[in-house]
Amino acid sequence: MTEQREFVSKVDLKARERALQILRERFYEVLKDVMNGKPPKLIIRKRTLSNTIYDSERGLLLLGEATFERSFVDLREARKFMQTMLMASMIFEALSNGEYPTIRDLYYRGKHTIRFRKLPSKTVAEENTWDEQSESDSVIRDIEVHTNVLREEMLILSKEKGKVVGEMKIRSGDDVIDLSKMGHGAYSIEPTPDLIEFIDVDADFVLVVEKDAVFQQLHRIGFWKKHKAILITSAGQPDRATRRFVRRLNEELGLPVYILSDSDPYGYYIYSVFKTGSITLSYESERLATPKARFLGVMMTDIFGSSKLGKKPYLADEERRNYIIKAKDRDIKRAKELKEYPWFKSERWQVELDEFLNRKVKLEIEALASKGLRFLSDRYIPEKIQIGDWIA
Amino acid sequence: MGQGGEQFKAISPAEFFYKNKEIAGFSNPARALYQTVRELIENSLDATENYGILPTIKISLRELRQVEEGAHYEVVVEDNGIGIPPKYVPQAFAQLLFSSKYVLRQTRGMFGLGAKMAVLYAQITTGYPAEVIVAPIKSKHIYSFKLKIDIRENKPVVLSFSMTSNVSGRHGTIVRLVTLGDWSRAKQRIYEYVRRTAVIAPYAEILFRDPEGSVVLFERSISKLPPPAREVLPHPHGVDIETLKSMLQTQSVNPVAEVLVESFQGVGEVTAHRILSEAGIPSEKKAGELSDREIETLLRVMKNSKDIKPPRADHLSYLGRDIIVAGLTKIFNPEYANAITRRPSVYEGHAFIVEAGIAYGGRVPPLEEPLVLRYANKIPLLYDERSDVVYKVLERIDFKLYEVEFPAPLAIVTHICSTKVPYKGVGKEAIADVPEIEQEVESALREVLRDLRSYLLRKKREIEEVEKAVSIAKYIPEVSNALHKMYGVDPKVVSQKLLEILNSKLKTFKIDSLSDVVVE
Ligand SMILES: Nc1ncnc2c1ncn2[C@@H]1O[C@H](COP(=O)(O)OP(=O)(O)OP(=O)(O)O)[C@@H](O)[C@H]1O
Ligand SMILES: [Mg+2]
Repeated sequence: MTEQREFVSKVDLKARERALQILRERFYEVLKDVMNGKPPKLIIRKRTLSNTIYDSERGLLLLGEATFERSFVDLREARKFMQTMLMASMIFEALSNGEYPTIRDLYYRGKHTIRFRKLPSKTVAEENTWDEQSESDSVIRDIEVHTNVLREEMLILSKEKGKVVGEMKIRSGDDVIDLSKMGHGAYSIEPTPDLIEFIDVDADFVLVVEKDAVFQQLHRIGFWKKHKAILITSAGQPDRATRRFVRRLNEELGLPVYILSDSDPYGYYIYSVFKTGSITLSYESERLATPKARFLGVMMTDIFGSSKLGKKPYLADEERRNYIIKAKDRDIKRAKELKEYPWFKSERWQVELDEFLNRKVKLEIEALASKGLRFLSDRYIPEKIQIGDWIA
Repeated sequence: MGQGGEQFKAISPAEFFYKNKEIAGFSNPARALYQTVRELIENSLDATENYGILPTIKISLRELRQVEEGAHYEVVVEDNGIGIPPKYVPQAFAQLLFSSKYVLRQTRGMFGLGAKMAVLYAQITTGYPAEVIVAPIKSKHIYSFKLKIDIRENKPVVLSFSMTSNVSGRHGTIVRLVTLGDWSRAKQRIYEYVRRTAVIAPYAEILFRDPEGSVVLFERSISKLPPPAREVLPHPHGVDIETLKSMLQTQSVNPVAEVLVESFQGVGEVTAHRILSEAGIPSEKKAGELSDREIETLLRVMKNSKDIKPPRADHLSYLGRDIIVAGLTKIFNPEYANAITRRPSVYEGHAFIVEAGIAYGGRVPPLEEPLVLRYANKIPLLYDERSDVVYKVLERIDFKLYEVEFPAPLAIVTHICSTKVPYKGVGKEAIADVPEIEQEVESALREVLRDLRSYLLRKKREIEEVEKAVSIAKYIPEVSNALHKMYGVDPKVVSQKLLEILNSKLKTFKIDSLSDVVVE
């Protein structure tokens, strides 16, 4: 183990120590209760919709204060209690053994069969510690909430999805990486972005593109060099690492963050996940959300213009006819839901959503690139940033 | 006057029942064998328990020869009862409608027919006489008879008589018949009858030997006898015009007021005078001098008088909770048994008591409906069950209300005792639906069922608790292991602690050791 440690980065070692300590402290109550002959229990904040609160001042979706009790002697909670303890001890073990499990590893590692006798019949029955990965994932979330430590901080890895390029040097582990020297490729944002150290940055803003393909196109024509941007893609729904990385760029380096997504309710929601957090995982927003993130487009009013806003459309009639797609029923339904979310209640957003519901059409970013990559990189994006045509 | 020159004649009771055997339950060889066994057993029980004797009864059936309609069987029933004075034996067994039970007293027998029907049927189907051996209590002799019935005259014919000295000092009666029967078709009913008799009379020892040679002994499981049935005077509400007339006739020289006081229960001097003045009859008038009109008025006043105490029930021989429960336990070994005895009630001037018992689980077979064991005056009623008052009541009981979900191992006992049970026929198989009895049967059933319900609810809660205990305990090793990994504590110590905590939360059940639940 000690020999191995020599090859492991110092930041990892420190993170491990911290996570181990917190885990040990937070679960100590359970041991104390047992030794004192009291039914052991965990008091955990509820991860339910009703306990998800929108903090309009900070622009964040946060977990409320409501808690629930997971007691071992409570018939409905006993299994979950066992699963939580099992998972906590596995994470603990992985941390102390210097491992980097993924959530899938943890699922397999903890999955085994419990054999027991039913009474009074004494027939032997079997039960798995958990059956689906959703069960083990769910207790991981409970542990994150209970310890207030995110899984990345417990060195649990997940698939890397986000990518970044730009005029910037970072320290990842014990290495320094120049993000401007990635060739045609890009730096994959590591699952533990908190362990990254920013060294040299020369950029005016951050552009996050939802679509990986558009990211590659902008990268290949040198968008980030020409416009002094840090270019990022979340490749669809952003993972936690990408969100945390974006948040740090904004918070620590003061760089404005612009989000470019499809012009449909799903695209808008991706923006809102970056900005305010996700509804189902609101406990992470405190660390992952970027409340100052700006929605650059694509807007409904970019397509159709707006007399109300005195805005001209970017697309001619002919182009519109070619590029727009008819909205599906579920798009309409989703848009109606968004309209009701408090963080979409601003006048500006209501204009966009009403326009969408009116026109019942959507548009993908790729369509703008098809109109002309130059149009996208040298006109649409810089112009909108310059004239401030974005939604905060 | 008969146009076609019809012939008129009277026939004797023996002749009548000879021609109408089915009325008394002797409709075919199978049924007759069952009825024969039954009548003899019931007489034996009457001759024992009513006199404070714990019954010991031996029944033996033996096949003698096969015949076309079945086979000839030797039926022997022996008891340790009070016996019969020798001078009455011929009539008791060979003259129809001769009985010692024509008084108001709760006995199994009441018609004066049972033994004679068995003798008659044997005689006409096999030609064999009945053999009766009696030793009355404290008798120095044992008397043996061979008897036949003169059917035309309804008179006993004594074929032989002998006496031996009673050296052992025993008492009781042995009856031996050779009769036509069909064991294979009667077998199930006869066993059922004997078994049900054992349920209701757990204080009896019954030894049964069947024609196949199998011997079953129903041991005595309780040595408490039900209170003996005592004879009572008729109640004014239950009397009819003929009975009244004959009462007045037998005491014709006495003042009518005196006759009323002496012949009826619940009638004292004051009541007698009040009834008579209401009927407009002078109290001192001699009983024999009342006109038919006066007798009719007297009857009406008596029947409608509300001021007479209800019929006495203290002479009834009910079983009581202990005996019913002992009987049910003996036969079914159930997980739950209970019984109740209702307070006495009255129909048409006759007191009656309803008892109900329940057995749940054990050897009671789980059926789609309750297994109903009906009894009247301690006689099991097997045939015609659907026309019985008990079924009428059961039909309107929703068992779900009592936590019973069929199929369920539920046996129900009903016992109706009265000086006059309203049987639907002389075969004594079903009870007519008299509203008062129906009401009492329903109340009795609902009362025991309520108690069963609380038992079942308690049991359900207990089962739920056992399930709960197991579904938590099975996780204990996982939790201890987790704590061991994180804090280095001994997992055995933690497991023991967790088990104690769990047990302290359980009310009706504890897990002794974790190894009862956890399979390594
Ligand atoms: N085993 C016995 N021990 C003593 N007495 C008996 C015995 N068997 C019959 N007797 C007497 O003989 C009488 C006639 O019996 P039988 O069975 O014919 O009529 P019952 O029992 O009075 O009425 P039922 O027709 O309802 O049975 C009885 O009343 C009883 O006095
Ligand atoms: Mg009889």
